[in-house]
Amino acid sequence: MSINRREFVKALGTATAVSAVGFPFIVQAGTKAKVVVIGAGYGGGTAAKYLRKYSPDIDVTLIEKDKHFYSCPFSNEVISGERSLDSIRFGFDGLAGHGVKVVTDMVTDIDAAKKTVKTQGGKSFKYDYLVVSPGVSFKPGGIEGYDEAAMEKMPHAWKAGPQTALLRKQLESMKDGGVVMIAAPPNPFRCPPGPYERAAQVAHYLSHHKPKSKVIIMDAKDKFSKQGLFTAGYNKFYKGMIEWRSAANDGRVLGVDAKTGTVMTEFDEHTPDVANIIPPQRAAAIAVNAGLTNDSGWCPVDQRTFESTQHKDVYVIGDASIAGKMPKSGYSANSQGKVAAAAIAAQVTGVKMPEPSYVNTCYSLITPDYGISVAMVYRLQNGQIVGVKGAGGLSPMKASEDTREAEALYARSWFYNIIADIYG
Amino acid sequence: MKTRNLSALLITAGLLAGAPAVAADLDAEMISNTCAGCHGTDGASVGQAPVIAGMNEMYLMQTMQNYKDGLRYGTIMERIARGYDKGQIMDMSKHYAGQPWVNAEQEVDSALAAKGKQLHMAKGCVGCHGANGISPIPTTPRLAGQYADYMVITMQQYQNPKVAIPPVAMPMRGMLAGMSEEDLKALAHFYASQK
Ligand SMILES: Cc1cc2nc3c(=O)[nH]c(=O)nc-3n(C[C@H](O)[C@H](O)[C@H](O)COP(=O)(O)OP(=O)(O)OC[C@H]3O[C@@H](n4cnc5c(N)ncnc54)[C@H](O)[C@@H]3O)c2cc1C
Ligand code: HEC
Ligand code: HEC
Repeated sequence: MSINRREFVKALGTATAVSAVGFPFIVQAGTKAKVVVIGAGYGGGTAAKYLRKYSPDIDVTLIEKDKHFYSCPFSNEVISGERSLDSIRFGFDGLAGHGVKVVTDMVTDIDAAKKTVKTQGGKSFKYDYLVVSPGVSFKPGGIEGYDEAAMEKMPHAWKAGPQTALLRKQLESMKDGGVVMIAAPPNPFRCPPGPYERAAQVAHYLSHHKPKSKVIIMDAKDKFSKQGLFTAGYNKFYKGMIEWRSAANDGRVLGVDAKTGTVMTEFDEHTPDVANIIPPQRAAAIAVNAGLTNDSGWCPVDQRTFESTQHKDVYVIGDASIAGKMPKSGYSANSQGKVAAAAIAAQVTGVKMPEPSYVNTCYSLITPDYGISVAMVYRLQNGQIVGVKGAGGLSPMKASEDTREAEALYARSWFYNIIADIYG
Repeated sequence: MKTRNLSALLITAGLLAGAPAVAADLDAEMISNTCAGCHGTDGASVGQAPVIAGMNEMYLMQTMQNYKDGLRYGTIMERIARGYDKGQIMDMSKHYAGQPWVNAEQEVDSALAAKGKQLHMAKGCVGCHGANGISPIPTTPRLAGQYADYMVITMQQYQNPKVAIPPVAMPMRGMLAGMSEEDLKALAHFYASQK
């Protein structure tokens, strides 16, 4: 390598750029490539920031329906009362500081043929490349009777914000000796360890304030993420307080009656004091409506670039996408945002897309001082995203108290760093 | 460190002009930015995971290799390091070595720090780590401005004979033996107070 790429690209004068991979991106003098990003969460925020980092000559517009972003990661600590709702709320000034144009509006339509998106506010934006990171929605009819009104009585708290506050409030007003029921969804869903961390966090609160109470996890599955570590943690700190009902043991919730507060399974009916219903999921509405999903309800994408296999120049990242072995997590979305940003920057600037590299880690807190984790580094193999052999895995089953305490510290550290990596 | 095939690009491109400038070496960014979720953008950690921005390149390479080979214990780094090959480790080490060091923002207890300074001198840490925690030896990491919590945890690992630490850290096992947690905190606060 004799000259570095930056000097090389700079040396290039003024009229056309030709991509090394064969599809030229024609840039007219003075115009920049326009990228629109939908959703300012873990995936979209990252993609917007890193597009600007990778090439300041890309014009980035980020469209987010809400004024602020409430983080799901660490929202379970709001539910346990360990932190405030404000502490998981983030604004977009940092992104604006990187030159990202932030628009508060809801995208209602993607026209992939005309390369235009339209918003509820009546605006329309043209794009050369579109990044879609809208997260998840709840499968229609996934749980019978679980409609908008039911959500106000039986919160999911699976999108952070008012729902998180509502679940917290219900726990606070519950009597000692009450039953909290958490309905965990079938795979695949946002944050595989999430419901089980939530059970621990709820139990943490109850054990200090309402020690006669119980937590029952009603599961649509027969096994779950970090099961051994969670079960050991439940036994260590919340013995007898948390019960897990597998699908095989009639754990799967099929319907609710919000008026009477009833939770229905195949063979039984329950009336818990607090019902936290986490319904079956699919990609967010905008992805479904734009024809980005397939029969699975999620968005198939080229695993190297995250470009949709159904619409050209549209990139889907985060929970909404199908990403091989990667779980639907904040760290996955962050990692995917960087891969998609590099893919777009490479095309715009006419260089070769680098070999993708992806990572995920999910920390969970059993108590504020007792953390566990699962991690993996991923690579592309025969067009599929697979874990690197020998890498990653779970925290050891046998670990010292010091190790668990250090992991709890590093879990919080992860939260601060990833938030800074997205919004800072 | 892959060849970027620039000459081929030049030829295919024919007339090349007006290309928007790419700011970054995308290959190095791709691999290095996987770390940022835990170590902060460009390695400037804002949590208690260590700052890795501006670390010595050799130290970074050696440390990643040690984690990979199980020669250095970590709560998570062994699991992460095993995901990268030698070339990738070289790329990311070069990348992070090229970033500016950013001192950890943290509260320092000045009384503790004063006690730590005495220990630093009396116990002979100064011999390798320099007067203020910045070593003249490139592969001895900077302690000045590193996270105190991280340093306490690391020193406890040095103390614990059951924990794997690399041969170069072995002298510290003896030196730190028998020191109380309070002493370790004092040392960490001294290093944290240095910039
Ligand atoms: C309780 C809980 C705990 C979790 N803990 C962790 C954890 O510890 N670690 C971890 O890695 N992950 C965790 N997760 C998972 C993590 O929250 C998600 O995987 C992550 O947020 C996915 O990022 P995303 O960009 O796909 O979606 P999101 O982060 O949800 O972002 C989507 C954004 O798009 C916006 N949007 C949607 N539709 C439109 C539209 N039409 N127009 C404009 N804007 C729109 C939304 O308002 C939202 O801001 C947790 C999840 C939950 C529920
Ligand atoms: C899941 C979080 C996580 C990820 C991802 C991660 N690290 Fe770490 N890193 C840590 C933690 C925590 C420590 C402290 C040691 C431990 O407990 O494992 C650490 C320690 C280190 C150290 C030792 C620093 C010192 O002062 O000696 C280096 C070097 C390092 N990491 C480099 C990297 C690089 C390079 C990457 C990207 C390939 C990376 N890390 C990815 C969490 C992470
Ligand atoms: C013989 C030289 C030597 C002496 C003396 C020494 N150190 Fe170290 N120290 C090292 C080296 C080398 C490392 C890096 C170890 C590695 O590569 O993992 C290190 C690492 C550390 C670290 C971890 C830094 C990081 O970023 O991970 C701390 C903290 C530390 N030393 C504190 C001390 C203290 C306190 C003393 C005195 C009691 C001391 N050291 C004495 C050579 C020394």
